Amino acid sequence: MIVDTLTSPIILFFVLGFFAALIKSDLSIPEAFGKAMSIYLMAAIGLKGGIEVAEAGFSVQLAWAALAGLGLSFLLPVPAYFLLVRFGGLKPVDAGAVAAHYGSVSVVTFVTAQEILTGRGLEPAGYMVAIMALMETPAIISGLLLLQGKKAPTPGVPKQSTTKLLHEVFSNGSVILLVGAFLIGMVAGKDGFAPVKPLFDTGFRGVLCLFLLDMGLVAARRLIQSRKLTLPLIVLAIAMPVMNGMIGAALGVAIGLDPGSAAILAVLAASASYIAVPAAMRLAVPEADPGVYLSMSLGITFPFNIIFGITIYAAMVQMML
Amino acid sequence: MVDTVIRKRIEIVIDTPLIPIIINMIKAVDISGWSVIHVDSGGGRDGEWQHDDVTGAAAKSILLAIASDEKAQALVDRIEPILETHRLLLTVGNVQVIRGDKF
Repeated sequence: MIVDTLTSPIILFFVLGFFAALIKSDLSIPEAFGKAMSIYLMAAIGLKGGIEVAEAGFSVQLAWAALAGLGLSFLLPVPAYFLLVRFGGLKPVDAGAVAAHYGSVSVVTFVTAQEILTGRGLEPAGYMVAIMALMETPAIISGLLLLQGKKAPTPGVPKQSTTKLLHEVFSNGSVILLVGAFLIGMVAGKDGFAPVKPLFDTGFRGVLCLFLLDMGLVAARRLIQSRKLTLPLIVLAIAMPVMNGMIGAALGVAIGLDPGSAAILAVLAASASYIAVPAAMRLAVPEADPGVYLSMSLGITFPFNIIFGITIYAAMVQMML
Repeated sequence: MVDTVIRKRIEIVIDTPLIPIIINMIKAVDISGWSVIHVDSGGGRDGEWQHDDVTGAAAKSILLAIASDEKAQALVDRIEPILETHRLLLTVGNVQVIRGDKF
């Protein structure tokens, strides 16, 4: 199974980008093109998810998966926080910020896993896109709750208002686009999607390859440029996703999700955010060191999950069934 | 020959998500104008960083304002307590401006 993953063009493009950055190649993807690809991919997966839900309708499974996703996102930061303080040696303020990243999700890991799993005949249910959107934010609240009373107020700076923070989180571009495209897909349905299908369906895998090339470059550069990673933190950046993936897989199987959906729930549990949460944490907890949480989530956990994690979590689900 | 007067040019290198905090301070000391300048890449004691539009995770900007001595000092006094915690780089220098009454 791991050989299938490692020979997939999607993963190989990611490895190519990672390698190019490691050897300090001048390969680069124009920023505007990278941003355009991410918009395209999020719109495409949102649309596809919405269409599938429109076709299949709401189900008990969807409700269970939503509850599981919300619960995972809210609770996973708790063990992560204690591990980061005790074994990682982080200050509470840094540990809380990192923990929030590990409760939230990575859209790119999700979309890559969806493609890999679909290629193996384990296509996840369409509604898992909505579950992913649901899992973006509870971890931020959880991380902030863990930090209650642990960060001293800064003189001269009014406390960040909860309303402003929630606005920041819910108006995040990726959340708006994903949820919006999902709703458009639900409204349009299969027939309404047909005229735009050539754009959003035919080129999807090719664009994903190029996007992962870019993400490989971004992840490796973050890893090279970091000076904040210690050995315990590197170990935790791999151990926490495996642990969270196992919890996600067990929960997915326990609530009766199909193997593909359970595997993608495990992937979501294992993934760490590097888009929505860093911006929210920087605003809410400016004292926390972004060099720590970005290096862990983007520099280590993200490449680990893309190259090895997806296969591991899918295998966990298959063993549990 | 056009007359010029000396004013303070305040530059703050800042993580982009934190910009609203400083803009509130700029408004509080009655500085009427500011600009936000995108920064592409850089380096410091904590290592190097590079802006990427995909994650936006390491985005940094420069906040630029021109003000009178008094207003500039008032802003510096407000920013000083958070320089370390918010990882800001603050510089203040003299510049010559035309239409000094505007600043």
